[in-house]
Amino acid sequence: MSTTLVVGMADYKIGRTPDKLMTAGLGSCIGICVFDLYAQIGSMGHIMLPSSRENMKGNPAKYADTCLEIMLEELFRLAGNRLRLQAKIAGGAQMFSFNGKAPLLKIGERNAEAVQQELKKAGIPLLSYDVGGTHGRTINFDLKTGNLHIRTINHGEKVI
Amino acid sequence: MEISAIRFEALKEIGNIGSGHAATSLSNMLQTRIDMSVPKVWLVPLEKMGEALGEMDANRVALYLKVEGEASGKALFVLPIPSAEGIAKNLLWMEEPPDIFHDEMAQSALREVGNILVSSFVIALTQFSGIQLQPSVPALAVDMIGAMIDSVLLEDGRVDDNVLIIDTKLSGLDDIEGKFLFIPDEGSLDKIFGVFGI
Repeated sequence: MSTTLVVGMADYKIGRTPDKLMTAGLGSCIGICVFDLYAQIGSMGHIMLPSSRENMKGNPAKYADTCLEIMLEELFRLAGNRLRLQAKIAGGAQMFSFNGKAPLLKIGERNAEAVQQELKKAGIPLLSYDVGGTHGRTINFDLKTGNLHIRTINHGEKVI
Repeated sequence: MEISAIRFEALKEIGNIGSGHAATSLSNMLQTRIDMSVPKVWLVPLEKMGEALGEMDANRVALYLKVEGEASGKALFVLPIPSAEGIAKNLLWMEEPPDIFHDEMAQSALREVGNILVSSFVIALTQFSGIQLQPSVPALAVDMIGAMIDSVLLEDGRVDDNVLIIDTKLSGLDDIEGKFLFIPDEGSLDKIFGVFGI
């Protein structure tokens, strides 16, 4: 039977076919899916901040760099092959603006850049992404097909 | 971060005083009775945020103001869509509820509601404690609650593993309901506890 594993904020989960992985209500955060279609195993992380280097405190799954590191380590241990790993990402929006002005830090944008950079550094191909904008996303990842289903409130649904 | 029982009680009292004034303002604005729940104080680990706030992808209207000053934090008034549209209809003397996604007049009216609620909350707190606080201009979003909360939490580019939330429910006739949330910044807690001498 297929189970849907729910990933919270600053959290990651590992699943195998026929499981699905999902995280609900991504705003400035990013959902990272890294998977091995051949071994039918994958992981979803829900990161909140770009880098652990600026603020080394607390849960490593909170940051793009350290979360990806743990996900890759576990996937490598379970699937045994780093070369087959691929990635898809979604999120990185900016939900609020004050009097039409964007907040100073643009965390969503910085998160998206950081995740793409970390994937590149780790040599994991990024197959597709849906980042930015001003809307929230709920994502559902099918480990069997590698499809990432993205739902929004007012911007439709898509599969990437 | 650990918080003792007496400190939890102090934070509940902050919620009581501030949200009580906010509820009175809402009641005056809408000319209807508004009931207020006993405030809840949550210390929520990030990954359990869904359990504290309900479904993270539920569609909500959020009015968000930063509170700046000696005990800074973030204040949010979160409403279901029909409730937000009902309040705008009431304030603007409309025949039919507006479409909150597109009606700029309605959005503007709700921002003003956010402004008045948070100002009442802040004034009550200042009168009670002597702590100087100023609310920012209000921002409005209509989207998934989880998405709006994460943006608010991350705005300063840092977030603690556990988030302290003072959560009060306001409700009234005509399906008016909303949650008033105050999220004190980590550094503000000592200032607040200092007022109580704890």
